[in-house]
Amino acid sequence: MTFQPIQLNDPMRREEKNSPGPDQKDTGGPSRPDVSRPGRDDLLKRMKKVDPKQSEKYKQRTGQ
Amino acid sequence: MKKRIYGIETEYGLLIKGDEFKYGSVDVAVRLKNHIFEKGMGVLDLHYRANDEPPGNGGFLVNGGRVYLDMGHLEYASPECSNLVDLVTYDRAGDMVVQDAVEEMGWADQVAIIKNNVDLETNATFGCHENYLVSRAFQFDNRENLRMLASFLVTRQIYAGAGRTGACNPQPFRDWDEVNPSRKEQEQVDFQISQRADHIPNEFYRWVQYNRAIVNTRDEPLSDPSKYRRIHLLVGDSNMSEFATALKMGSTAVLMELIELGAANPDWILADSVTTMREISRDPKFKWEITMRDGKRTTAVDLQRDMLNCAKENLAGSSADTDWVLQAWESVLDDLPKGPEALLGRVDWASKYWMLTEFMQAQDLGWQDPWVKSLDLEYHNLNKSQGLYWGLEDTGDAFRRTSDSAVDQAKEKPPRGTRADGRGELVRTLTQSQTGYLIDWIGFRLNKEEPFLMLDPFVSYKKEIRNYLDNLDLQQPYDRDSFYR
Repeated sequence: MTFQPIQLNDPMRREEKNSPGPDQKDTGGPSRPDVSRPGRDDLLKRMKKVDPKQSEKYKQRTGQ
Repeated sequence: MKKRIYGIETEYGLLIKGDEFKYGSVDVAVRLKNHIFEKGMGVLDLHYRANDEPPGNGGFLVNGGRVYLDMGHLEYASPECSNLVDLVTYDRAGDMVVQDAVEEMGWADQVAIIKNNVDLETNATFGCHENYLVSRAFQFDNRENLRMLASFLVTRQIYAGAGRTGACNPQPFRDWDEVNPSRKEQEQVDFQISQRADHIPNEFYRWVQYNRAIVNTRDEPLSDPSKYRRIHLLVGDSNMSEFATALKMGSTAVLMELIELGAANPDWILADSVTTMREISRDPKFKWEITMRDGKRTTAVDLQRDMLNCAKENLAGSSADTDWVLQAWESVLDDLPKGPEALLGRVDWASKYWMLTEFMQAQDLGWQDPWVKSLDLEYHNLNKSQGLYWGLEDTGDAFRRTSDSAVDQAKEKPPRGTRADGRGELVRTLTQSQTGYLIDWIGFRLNKEEPFLMLDPFVSYKKEIRNYLDNLDLQQPYDRDSFYR
């Protein structure tokens, strides 16, 4: 077996989401197109309905 | 892939959402269990199965599986399944049997069944146990084999983990260790990819509560012990994604076959599997760097890819299940470096991570916000109109391996090709009879008759059981005194 050496700076290890840097804000140029995932808003609506405190009510015993 | 028998046992969490709800969670679990059997989905045990499993604590279902109470949790054990699609279907059928009960009791808005493995407040943990039937010839006593299996299980979490916010601090210690004060140091963890990694302090051990191990070594075959061994793993997380369930179990079965063939590579063995498991789970950058026994450094992705390539060389084309596993395994290893969004619906931790980070950004929340913990739980809610995972099904992002109609059928019909088929026939008959019975995975006894053994899980026994039942008076009332003669 031959392992490939770790490429610690390999950008493909994790594709970071691009967000505009400070120098790109308020430039007055064309607005960034909305490329958010289809269905994202429906998921966020579903998430917003969740009781923010419900984790405190989840009292479970240790099992196996 | 060799003929296998698969099964999954799921301990469900139970969340009482209503502040004024009249029952506590343990009481609710008892009532849900009773409802399932009262509506004819199975027959309750008439006998003790163990000190903590008295008569009525649980029973077998008409689909060949079991529902019971275990340490305060409602638990479902799937029937024995001979392929991955059946396994996913019957795992989901158990989810729906329990969720149906909640809805039929009129509790859908107040009670949530949570298919996860940890209480994020108290760090109580509860399991998802995987069962694989292998030949007794499997060299389980060979520690090198177990170490290769452990390396696979430790690195498998990069696609099989369900993810969680936070961590269990201090980490559990082993009974035979002195408590070291340094273990109590808190480590700030925002998110980790496995729910169980913090709760596994050993590489090999036979216990199932406390001192849990990556490879559980308990030898309880639940079949002919001269032919079979049941490998019973408790290291994994409960998965919401059907794809993840199938890939987790399928890739593990493939790895076991490589070990049986002698094709598994001792170079795969990690320097320290327990520590590595936790380090992979907690790595905030998802680089998952690992150290091998020989000191070489690599990553979990590259180790898994080496295992995949070995499987492709030795097992490609051996069965439809194998080919699906090899393709699915390769696809997630290819996509893991692209980030969580590329794995939506296939990898639970990544789906959860993506949803949480999108929501946190939209609401300007941090990882420590209680709302984020509550959303973590909600990912696992089995209520399809509430649980976050089901939102991925609604948007078409969930990768399915079964269908709603198959799951509906699986609630009431056993899988074909295993002894669950015969057991389902027995249980369905007993729901309409008066006779006394004692049922276990390996057989049953009715009234004063001799035991009927079902030692081979690959045999359905259906015809034999039908003939056997046709020759009995099944309306003979149960007489406890004469039954235990």
